[in-house]
Amino acid sequence: MDPMTFSIIRHRLFRIVDEAVITLKHVSGSAITNEGHDLMVSLYRADGTLLMGGVGFLHHLTSAAEACKAIIRRFQGQIGEADVYLLNDPYTAALHTSDIYLVAPIHHEGRLVAWSACFVHVTDIGAMNPGGFAPQAVDIYSEGFSSPGLKLLDRGEMRQDVLDTILNMVRSPEMVSLDLRSMIACCNVARDRMSALLTKYTAPVVDEACAALVEQSETLFRARLRALPDGQWQSRQYLDVQGETARVVLTMTKTDDRLVFDFTGSDPQSRHSINCTKWAALGGLFAPLFPLLCYDITWNEGVIRPVTMIAPEGSIVNCTRPAPVSVATVGAIQSVNNAACTTIGKMLAASPEYRDQATAVWHANHFAIFKFGANQRGGYSIGILTETFAGAGGARSFADGVDIGGEIPNPISRMANVETVEGAFPIRYLFRRRAPDSGGPGRYRGGTGGEMAIVQHRAPAGGIDYVISGKGARHPMSEGLAGGYPGAPNSYVWVHADAEAAPGSADRLETIPGTPEPVSWGVYPLRGQDALYVRWNGGGGYGDPIARDPAAVAADVTSGVVSARAAAEIYGVALAPDGGADSAATVALRGAIRTARLAVPEAAE
Amino acid sequence: MTRFILPTVATDGTICTCAACGHALGPAPWKRGAIRRDLPLAVAGGAAYDTGHAGVFLCQFICPGCAVLLDTETAMAGDAALDDRLHLPAAAN
Repeated sequence: MDPMTFSIIRHRLFRIVDEAVITLKHVSGSAITNEGHDLMVSLYRADGTLLMGGVGFLHHLTSAAEACKAIIRRFQGQIGEADVYLLNDPYTAALHTSDIYLVAPIHHEGRLVAWSACFVHVTDIGAMNPGGFAPQAVDIYSEGFSSPGLKLLDRGEMRQDVLDTILNMVRSPEMVSLDLRSMIACCNVARDRMSALLTKYTAPVVDEACAALVEQSETLFRARLRALPDGQWQSRQYLDVQGETARVVLTMTKTDDRLVFDFTGSDPQSRHSINCTKWAALGGLFAPLFPLLCYDITWNEGVIRPVTMIAPEGSIVNCTRPAPVSVATVGAIQSVNNAACTTIGKMLAASPEYRDQATAVWHANHFAIFKFGANQRGGYSIGILTETFAGAGGARSFADGVDIGGEIPNPISRMANVETVEGAFPIRYLFRRRAPDSGGPGRYRGGTGGEMAIVQHRAPAGGIDYVISGKGARHPMSEGLAGGYPGAPNSYVWVHADAEAAPGSADRLETIPGTPEPVSWGVYPLRGQDALYVRWNGGGGYGDPIARDPAAVAADVTSGVVSARAAAEIYGVALAPDGGADSAATVALRGAIRTARLAVPEAAE
Repeated sequence: MTRFILPTVATDGTICTCAACGHALGPAPWKRGAIRRDLPLAVAGGAAYDTGHAGVFLCQFICPGCAVLLDTETAMAGDAALDDRLHLPAAAN
């Protein structure tokens, strides 16, 4: 087709997705959606294959394609104009029950021509723990409402009996209703804008452009793969839950214009809800692949075709029903994200042409903490600490990672203002800032993570409670690249207040009065003068830390993101009295570090 | 022709070398020719890495020639080193 028409239709598809995302955000009343951007909108072809991947959490792009296909199979012959379908069963297509997909057909002149799909993490799904992440779940049956596909709107009309049934099973039904309505509005906008496009250009022309777009993506992606070296690169992730460690092991093999992601060797599925299903694992590996290898290629089915995934059945990355999966998105899926980011980063770094596209792992470890309880307005609130979306950038071959820089799987992730959270919950922040020494050391430093502490504040019930699904407190997960260190691990601490002491104006963990107790998994109270402290991981570093510019290390110490101890012991930089680097002493320190490295290797304990 | 397995490790198709100094590391897997140091996390990274739990290490792979850090891995005791290698048509790397 003529290139002008193709380009116009391609850009219209981009804009349709953008406008649908804006609609979703603005109708939603949930901080996790409109502040954290835990959302996704994409367009799919009539057969359910991915046409135009949108922004938000990218591990949903392929899973929602499978959701479209599941709806097509289930409702064949019954799919009407302006229908909207709901699917959230992880063993059918979804990632976990609280990430609900709404899938909507798009018709033109009576014929099904495309689909839109979107998701948000709904405020609650009726799992045994509020908020959807259920660390205490033992199986899928304790993780709340789960549907392999149902019709929510029939030709534009809400099926009230279905909606009422769903809302009858969840906490905070008014918020869940708003979540669902935000997605319906999103589907409506996608359908209306697609209809306008189809009316203007006709269905055959749009279909031809869509087919060409998929073909273009496949051609461009295969060409990019051919330009990269053939080889295999490995990575490994550890997930620690209550003293049990599970491994996600990945070997990525690139041959000519094909990529194989092989998770053979990963541990068996866990009794904890960190597992993920195969559709979730597939989405997990594509989440870094789209932005790292296809930053200039449209994200659609054409990118998926050259990729094969091997995920052993019964493993933590392809669990079998009824294994619990409610923590998957911050568990096995995120580890798949990280492992794929590492292997793709290594492959890019192996190519002089593409080395500047390589990155160490970004924010590798979400901390899913859901607050819940009576709020200061006489109501009941459930909500995530959106700092988990704040992230940290991985370092690259030419620059430091971005401090509090987000994450690879969600290019638009962000956190809410402190005041927004304090307005929704009866809590007060003691501090929130960049966490010293959290960025992985390297010639280029990983971006810092953050640290924060909260206390209850005039809570009508004396406090609130929170669900925590925290891993990464034993193992760093943001791996470094080319000799760079991983970002520092997470830390979760319940500070039990002393009898008389109040937290006052504490500005770091050590100044919060009381007795610290590490916590990571389960439900805990935040009452009285007790505090909850959280530190989240930094990004991985790139290159040898003792190759870092001493002036940059000194500047990091001055700004408080690197300690003087780390400057000396890891970077080999001695500081002068004025805060700058002492050149002669730095040369000596770095020489001593090299000598120590060449000494008899230290045995592993 | 020099190719790279990682930015820090080159190969001519037979022998792997340190990209910084050219020191020969031997045939694949190249980590067998590097110095390996398994440092407990708290030692490797300071207070921010001190989780209070033993058994997790930062594995450093070091060039015996110039002491540059070629690669790092997070590992638990007993876990094998990750194996990164190129697949070249003429010979093993």
